[in-house]
Amino acid sequence: MSLFVFRNNTVERFFPKDYAFSGYDDISVIPADANGYVWFYQAPVGYNREASVKEIQGYQQKFNFVLAQIDPNKTVIALTMEDTYSVPFTEDDYVVRTAIEQYNAALFEAEKVNANLKVIDYFEFTRNYPVADLFDWKFYFISQMGINPKLTKDFQAWWNRKLESIALKRKKCIVLDLDNTLWGGVLGEDGISGIKIGGDYPGKAFAFFQKSLLQLSKAGVILTVCSKNNEHDVLEAWEKNPFMVLKKEHFAAYRINWTDKATNIKELAEELNIGLDSFVFVDDNPTERELIKQMLPMVSVPEFPAQPYELPVFFKQLVNDYFKVYSITEEDKKKTEQYKANAARAQAQNSFTDFGAFLESLEIQITIEAANEFNIPRIAQMTQKTNQFNLTTKRYTDADVKGFLANGWKIWCISVADRFGDNGITGCIMVNGDTIDTFLLSCRILGKGIEKAFIKKILAMLKESGIKAVKAAYLPTAKNAQVADFYDRCGFPCVAENADGSKEYALDLKSADLEIEKYYHINLK
Amino acid sequence: MEEKVLEILKSVLELDSIERNIASSNCEKWDSMAQLNISVELESEFGVTLEPEDIAALASYEDILKILKEKGVSDL
Repeated sequence: MSLFVFRNNTVERFFPKDYAFSGYDDISVIPADANGYVWFYQAPVGYNREASVKEIQGYQQKFNFVLAQIDPNKTVIALTMEDTYSVPFTEDDYVVRTAIEQYNAALFEAEKVNANLKVIDYFEFTRNYPVADLFDWKFYFISQMGINPKLTKDFQAWWNRKLESIALKRKKCIVLDLDNTLWGGVLGEDGISGIKIGGDYPGKAFAFFQKSLLQLSKAGVILTVCSKNNEHDVLEAWEKNPFMVLKKEHFAAYRINWTDKATNIKELAEELNIGLDSFVFVDDNPTERELIKQMLPMVSVPEFPAQPYELPVFFKQLVNDYFKVYSITEEDKKKTEQYKANAARAQAQNSFTDFGAFLESLEIQITIEAANEFNIPRIAQMTQKTNQFNLTTKRYTDADVKGFLANGWKIWCISVADRFGDNGITGCIMVNGDTIDTFLLSCRILGKGIEKAFIKKILAMLKESGIKAVKAAYLPTAKNAQVADFYDRCGFPCVAENADGSKEYALDLKSADLEIEKYYHINLK
Repeated sequence: MEEKVLEILKSVLELDSIERNIASSNCEKWDSMAQLNISVELESEFGVTLEPEDIAALASYEDILKILKEKGVSDL
């Protein structure tokens, strides 16, 4: 069973076909085999205000009851309630609205203390429609529908976006054009003070757009630039135009040249070590957009508004479609800094001939920490987002990880720092008995041999705890070819190679080489 | 119009193939929820308003054609 929906009205057609549903306002059955649960109670329909208030309070109690019965390792998604059709008889009659507000506040309170509960705001959907479109009495009377069935397609699209944001499937990076995208006019023609940024309209609208993007970058989205301009002119504009909000330091990388943008974006992807499918390309020029759509179909290319005053609506759409996540972790906030430190590291690498000496000079600090309440959200997030250095690509939620711990799995995460900066938590390993279920690292920390040091340390710890041999596997995906022979490189004997490309390994810990280079400073927490 | 109606029925009832004799009496999936879904699709597709009485009476492909014709949906 996929998700199980608790509801008080007819809502079946709004959800995917594999969902199952409770009876109307029926909480007597909480099927244990559901993968997760949805709570979607709609405001009661009727003119007896006191009865409605009581009913809403009852819903709140029922919700608490259901939540307490559900396995805390399974996700519960609760929608807030909206007053879409109540008719107060006097202007100062707010009792139903107050009851709904209390109901919603209670959901958000419950969310704070229940890690498996995610509350999503139904108002975000309903506010797009006039009341007359939201509720149709005909369908209420014939089929007890609390939303107009004509909105099914819109609701489903919204619901899918919400599920994606809960599962953290968002893009990572925006590639921005400059002329007529981040400012009005053409820098090469209008000059540093002639371009329209700040001051009156349209400069005001462009400044607003830049400020919006700056906030987005603080939420962990990586900003880059790809523009056909003279690099020198742009650097000067960034430095000297006093109204410029986004300057050089806000961009993790940029390509300002006359090369075609497809080539430039591919280079940016390599430099930042991010897959092209994590890029969103923002450019006012339809020809450039078309080029990217054709040459790099995995890059998302939204339409760009014709008028600068439409930029705020465009920005909102951008966030909704590509960058909305359920919550932001500390690592997200530091991302631009980290990607920039990587670029500095890449430059330092050029001045060493001996790679070992280079690694030693980095003063690498590896911290290995067992999974706990604070790092579990980040661990789950990494299983959702890591594609390239991921041996088995199993996607887990917070609740899954907690469940594994409860079942005796050993789970560690790794933080890596060096003299250029702290990358934060960037990898994890999950061991179920004697089997490595998951091993992954963020691409940000690759290229320093940390993967080998990490796994050897873990193997040594497993050996110490009395485990004689470990099993491991590689499961191929479209993106993880770079780790196809990772275990072979670490000295794991391959015991089976299957037709689907997957490989199985078994390593005897007694004879395994668990020696770690001394320049990795490993701390256990 | 007839092709469109068949298409709607096929998709709502999740059938691989469809015959013109289809009716709630010979199709297990044509339950009250399907009835509602069919009505909503017909309203959207043909721009008509089906009254609750019409919806209740939609029990076969033939019924649907009859009601749509009464509502002035012509064969294009």
